[in-house]
Amino acid sequence: MNTSVPRRTVVTGVGVVAPNGIGADVFWKATREGLCVLDRISREGCGDLPLTIAGEVREFDPAAVVEERFLVQTDRFTHFAMVAADQALADAALGPMPTFGVGVTTASCSGGGEFGQRELQNLWGQGPGFVGPYQSIAWFYAATTGQISIRGGFKGPCAVLANDEAGGLDALAHAARTIRRGTNAVVVGAAEAPLAPYSMVCQLGYDSLSLAREPGQAYLPFTSNACGFVPAEGGAMFVLEETEAAHRRGARIRAEVAGHGATFTGTSGWGPSRDGLARAIGDALADAGCAPQDIDVVFADALGVREADHAEVLALSDALGAHAAQVPVTAPKAGIGRAYCGAPVLDCAAAILAMEHGVVPPTPGVFDVCHDLDLVTGRARAAELRTALVLSRGLMGHNAALVLRRGDGRPGTPM
Amino acid sequence: MNGPFTYEELAALMKICAGVTADPQRMSLPGSTFEEFGLDSLGLLGIVSELERRYQFPLGADVDQCKTPREFLETTNSQLTSGV
Repeated sequence: MNTSVPRRTVVTGVGVVAPNGIGADVFWKATREGLCVLDRISREGCGDLPLTIAGEVREFDPAAVVEERFLVQTDRFTHFAMVAADQALADAALGPMPTFGVGVTTASCSGGGEFGQRELQNLWGQGPGFVGPYQSIAWFYAATTGQISIRGGFKGPCAVLANDEAGGLDALAHAARTIRRGTNAVVVGAAEAPLAPYSMVCQLGYDSLSLAREPGQAYLPFTSNACGFVPAEGGAMFVLEETEAAHRRGARIRAEVAGHGATFTGTSGWGPSRDGLARAIGDALADAGCAPQDIDVVFADALGVREADHAEVLALSDALGAHAAQVPVTAPKAGIGRAYCGAPVLDCAAAILAMEHGVVPPTPGVFDVCHDLDLVTGRARAAELRTALVLSRGLMGHNAALVLRRGDGRPGTPM
Repeated sequence: MNGPFTYEELAALMKICAGVTADPQRMSLPGSTFEEFGLDSLGLLGIVSELERRYQFPLGADVDQCKTPREFLETTNSQLTSGV
C-alpha cells in the first residue's frame, strides 16, 4: 500500500428501504416527484398515543426477504438494514474479496425497540423463563452491524456508532477512515424502526416531536407553521470502496465520500447548533478541498422547529458566505419523515441520485419559506450537480456535515 | 409421564426458537452437530428454556453445552425420565 497518497473512498453500491419506496430507483422517483407519504400510524398497538403521524415503510414483508433464522433473531431495524445492504451489495457487484477485506459499519439511535418490548412484556407478564435468549443481542444498537457481518461473512473491521441522528453521516466518515487504513470495502449505513409502542413512548419526551394530527401539517421545516419533526422508519446502506481499486475492477462509481466534519453542542436549545453546524460544514469543506461556491446543493437537516431551522440557515450563511443565499437547498425528508440515523443516510442516497440525474428534488409539502434561503419547493429543479453537502443534527447535540462528489459512472453507463 | 423427547420435536423447536430448519433424520446420524444446522448457543439456550417450560422441570446446567443433537436428546431424556 502506498502510504504517501491518502486512499480515497467511493460509493459503488446504494440500497434503500424508505417510506416512499424500497430500492434506490423507486425511492428516487418518489423523491424527485416530491411525494408526501406521511400518514397515520397504522402499526399494531400504536393507536392510543399522542404521536399519530409518521413515515411508515408499508410495503415491507420481512419474511419474503430475510432468512427465517435472522427473522427470529433480529428486530425490524436490522431487517431493514439487511435488505438495504443486499441491494447495495448487488449494486456494487463486488468480486472476490480477501477474507478480512470487507467491514461493516452502522449507526443507530433507536435500536430494536419492538423486539425488546415483546421480550420485556414476557419478562413482566410471565417471568424470566419466558424471555428468549436473542433478547441479549437483538435490541442493541450493535445488532445490525453484527448480524450483517455474520450473514454476509464479512470479517473486516466492524463498528457501530450510537451518537444521535448525525451518527448516520459519521458512520460514512468512519467507514471512509476504515478504507483509508487498508480495508477493501465497507458495507455502511443506518436503518431505524422506531414505530412501535415502546419506542414511540420514548420519543414522546422530545419536545421537537410533532404531535400534529394532519399529515399535511405535521412536518413543515423552514416555514412559519413549523411544529416539529415527524419520525419515520427505514434507512439506507452503501458499499464503500477504495477509489483506485474500484476503478481497476470496473465498478460503477456512484459518488466520492469527499469530506466530513462533526461537532457537539449539547442539549441546551438549538441556538448553539449554529456554530456547531457551521464548524462541521467548514471542516467538511476543508477535508474535501472544496470552496463554498463548489457546493451545488445542500440537503438540510430541516428539523422543523423554528429556532433550529433558523440556526441551520445561519450556519449555512456562516460557513458558505454569500453562496448560502444562492445554493439550492432541499429537505426531501419533509415528505417521508425523519428516520433518526436513517434520515441523513437517506439524504446521502438522495444526494447521490440527484447528482446522477442532474435534478434537485423538492421539499414536499413546503411552500411558504420564512427563512432567507433558496429552498427548492413544489417541483424538482434541473441543475448541474457535482458536489453535494448533507447536513444532520441529533436531538442530543451532535452536528455533522458530509460532502459527496458525483461519481463518473452515470446511470446506464457502467465503466 | 414425560418424554422421550424425539428428533422430530427437536427439529420443531429449532425452527420456532432459532429459525433453523433441520431434517430430523439427518440430525439422528452419528457425528451430526448443531453447528452444521446453523444452531448457535443462544438458539440452544432458547430450546432448553422452552423444554423447561413445557415439562415444568429444570434440565440442569449441562444440557445447553451439548454440541450434537444426539447428545442433547440423550441428556434431556435421561433428565426427564429420572425426574419423573
